[in-house]
Amino acid sequence: MALLRCTAAAATTPPPQLATSPRRLRSLSWRRTLAPLHDHLLLASTLRHSSQGRHWLPPAVTCNAQTVVATNMAPGTPVRPTNILVVGATGTLGRQVVRRALDEGYDVRCLVRPRPAPADFLRDWGATVVNADLSKPETIPATLVGIHTVIDCATGRPEEPIRTVDWEGKVALIQCAMAMGIQKYVFYSIHNCDKHPEVPLMEIKHCTEKFLQDSGLTYIIIRLCGFMQGLIGQYAVPILEEKSVWGTDAPTRIAYMDTQDIARLTFIALRNEKINKKLLTFAGPRAWTTQEVITLCERLAGQDANVTTVPVSILKFARQLTRFFQWTNDVADRLAFSEVLSSDTVFSVPTTEMYNLLGVDAKDIITLEKYLQDYFTNILKKLKDLKAQSKQTDIYF
Amino acid sequence: MALSSKISAYPSKFLGQSLSFHPNPTTIRRSPTHLLLPPRCDKREVDSTGDDNVESETARSQPSVSLTLDDVNPVGLGRRSRQIFDEVWRKFSGLGQISRTPTDETLETVLVRGPMCEFTIPGAQDTTILVVGATSRIGRIVVRKLMLRGYKVKALVRKADQEVIDLLPRSVSVVIGDVGEPSTLKAAVEGCNKIIYCATARSTITADLYRVDYQGVYNITKAFQDYNNRLAQLRAGKSSKSKLLLAKFKSAESLNGWKVCQGTYFQDVVGTKYDAGMDAKFEFTETGNAVFSGYVFTRGGYVELSKKISLPLGCTLDRYDGLLLSVGGNGRSFVLILEAGPSADTSQSKLYFARMSTKVGFCRVRVPFSSFRPVKPDDPPLDPFLVHTLTIRFEPRRQRPSEGTTGTTQDLRSFKLIMEYIKALPTGQETDFILVSCTGLGIEQNRRDQVLKAKKAGEESLRRSGLGYTIVRPGPLQEEPGGQRALIFDQGNRISQGISCADVADICVKALHDSTARNKSFDVCYEYIAEQGKELYELVAHLPDKANNYLTPALSVLEKNT
Repeated sequence: MALLRCTAAAATTPPPQLATSPRRLRSLSWRRTLAPLHDHLLLASTLRHSSQGRHWLPPAVTCNAQTVVATNMAPGTPVRPTNILVVGATGTLGRQVVRRALDEGYDVRCLVRPRPAPADFLRDWGATVVNADLSKPETIPATLVGIHTVIDCATGRPEEPIRTVDWEGKVALIQCAMAMGIQKYVFYSIHNCDKHPEVPLMEIKHCTEKFLQDSGLTYIIIRLCGFMQGLIGQYAVPILEEKSVWGTDAPTRIAYMDTQDIARLTFIALRNEKINKKLLTFAGPRAWTTQEVITLCERLAGQDANVTTVPVSILKFARQLTRFFQWTNDVADRLAFSEVLSSDTVFSVPTTEMYNLLGVDAKDIITLEKYLQDYFTNILKKLKDLKAQSKQTDIYF
Repeated sequence: MALSSKISAYPSKFLGQSLSFHPNPTTIRRSPTHLLLPPRCDKREVDSTGDDNVESETARSQPSVSLTLDDVNPVGLGRRSRQIFDEVWRKFSGLGQISRTPTDETLETVLVRGPMCEFTIPGAQDTTILVVGATSRIGRIVVRKLMLRGYKVKALVRKADQEVIDLLPRSVSVVIGDVGEPSTLKAAVEGCNKIIYCATARSTITADLYRVDYQGVYNITKAFQDYNNRLAQLRAGKSSKSKLLLAKFKSAESLNGWKVCQGTYFQDVVGTKYDAGMDAKFEFTETGNAVFSGYVFTRGGYVELSKKISLPLGCTLDRYDGLLLSVGGNGRSFVLILEAGPSADTSQSKLYFARMSTKVGFCRVRVPFSSFRPVKPDDPPLDPFLVHTLTIRFEPRRQRPSEGTTGTTQDLRSFKLIMEYIKALPTGQETDFILVSCTGLGIEQNRRDQVLKAKKAGEESLRRSGLGYTIVRPGPLQEEPGGQRALIFDQGNRISQGISCADVADICVKALHDSTARNKSFDVCYEYIAEQGKELYELVAHLPDKANNYLTPALSVLEKNT
């Protein structure tokens, strides 16, 4: 459905200039930029052209620039396949990707936004941190020098408009990667993103997928369902702290997966030449509803939760309401996932095929029960230790 | 109140719930250790008092009797109401989002550095590891792996250049020193528990090889042993690194309990008629030496000196690795015999023996428990825990004339053994020193002998140092990600393939806490994969999974003390 609309739009109207398209046109305008290949080349060349004037160093000046040339043309120092760039390295998934990469012996460079408190943990692990911002395309090319593979786990922060990082930034990054001869590009997308064009983030992901597929890069697209790490902050911690847990009554099932497993599988896929230019979907061993997750947490924590159930209909209503006003449009985007929740889907895929393709044993993928159990045993043990300690100090004083 | 009117525009259903459940949202969320704290009692109080829960910290700190100025300050009220509103909104909008990244710093303690992280190794924070050659191809990855697992890492570098420092993670403590200069190493080994040595000579010039591959290993093992000994002294023999004194012969009384006896392996009828006879004595001389001396002329005869070992309270020999004897004499070889079994019933004891050679003059002899063999081949291997009697036996069989005293004819049937002390060597479950050596593959032909000679000398000096060691000899190194191909562990210089630097680094890090890696040397390389259609054998080995430990099963079949 969404696909059809895209192509139709592209055929009828020439795409407006992407980077300058006014905010007011919102979704319609960038949907149109999904045009046939020559448009992309055009875009890429305009970007190349515009950045050459200001920021791109002419090839003869520095050795850095010469390395760039060497990646594109035959002679010169070849880029080592162990040099990778992780975009979005401070995120939930990104940091696991960085760690796995470092542990497997890659030389990891992390693209991180300049910020007052820099990501010291990445440097502690032995990664190189470079400052750049996807929403400022002129900062990107320098970070790609000498890089063989780009792993893109970036997503905009919830508080900022989705478009700047997830669409404009990604397009700029992919175009840069094309221009600089990046040899592999790994992109994380969302499962079923082609089925829900009404959710802005999913539509952007889907369009990025298509953009990447048409770009000519060697790519791997990995669609993900849900992170187990997210459940800790959402359910496990509030239950332990005896605070209220907010859940929906939606029957949607999500196949959560541990980000450490995702990172591990990513690198297996990355090294497998057969998986080039393929779209994989990683899903956990079993799909869970919100209610099931809460029940599981209650059982493991040994205490009941204060569950505040919000009907999906109210979420949908809130979304509709906020959509009416332009100033609440970002809010509406943030509530958009309620559409997926209400559409009563199982957010998962059969996994055996994927495991076989990668040559992984299904037993090695951690289940949600095991994951949460590990969490609760560890945290309860820590609590006990702390209590014992505080008792000791009481006696001591 | 002004507050309620302000938010009442919002669906009252959520508002009411949220207010009662989230008394103090912002203060709870921020504190980084909150997750680990037991529920605070003051929080409960705030919970129970219905109206107070909108008030923030100020209200709690003061015993709120009446309204203060702060309570009616519109700015403060506005801020507080906004905080509450934000919290409710955060939760509400969180429901409608696809990916909710935990913004909480508190989760880091468990998920990132804590036990939920697949890399974390228990006890790693208390272990300091010195990496020598931290900027080498293997060293760089070793340092990263150690940092990921939470170890404290010290890196020995020659010069603190900015580009060298940039190569290392930030929280690595950098020590400046040169393995060729023993004086610079004292500071480097200070506070270290284990050492990984992956430095190698940059050239194949003999002086360079000698300096790094041989003398470097020697210097650093020496510095490390000195440091260990200093620790052992500081703790007055209570340290796990100090030896256990079994016997010290410094006075005539110290000879009490030692018995001399003699016997024969078989009855020599003919021999007894001629020059048979034997005699031995153990005495304390005027010069202050305890001397066990005598002669054995009888064929198949032997004399022995034995004593029941009495250990200090709380000590058992299973915590020890072997025996150390400080002896002098005329260079005969002896047989050490240990009797092991339940001490109540000596008839069930089993005998274990090991041969020990001495040289002319004083020397110290180490006899590891692992070199003891049962006298009856069917008996189980020696369990040091059960040892109760130690015997030193002399027999004229298999004696070799000692060197040095050429010219004078020796009667190999007479012996003299001056005893100074007998100690038990402390054991370690784990390796103390990991040395990355090489197999000699991939080195240019004309320099290979020199390189190997230096490496072998370095290995030898490590083995002699008394540290628990692991010597890894990888095939030619390749710069590629690790964990891709099956590895072959072998002893005996038979390997033919390369190996990635990352795999070598992984072996080093895994070997740190692996008891099977202690005191072993092994070669490692990728499994040989024949070209299509040229296979001679079926592929048996499989790709090691990073999650489980492949090292223990691979190493447990290899020979120890190599």
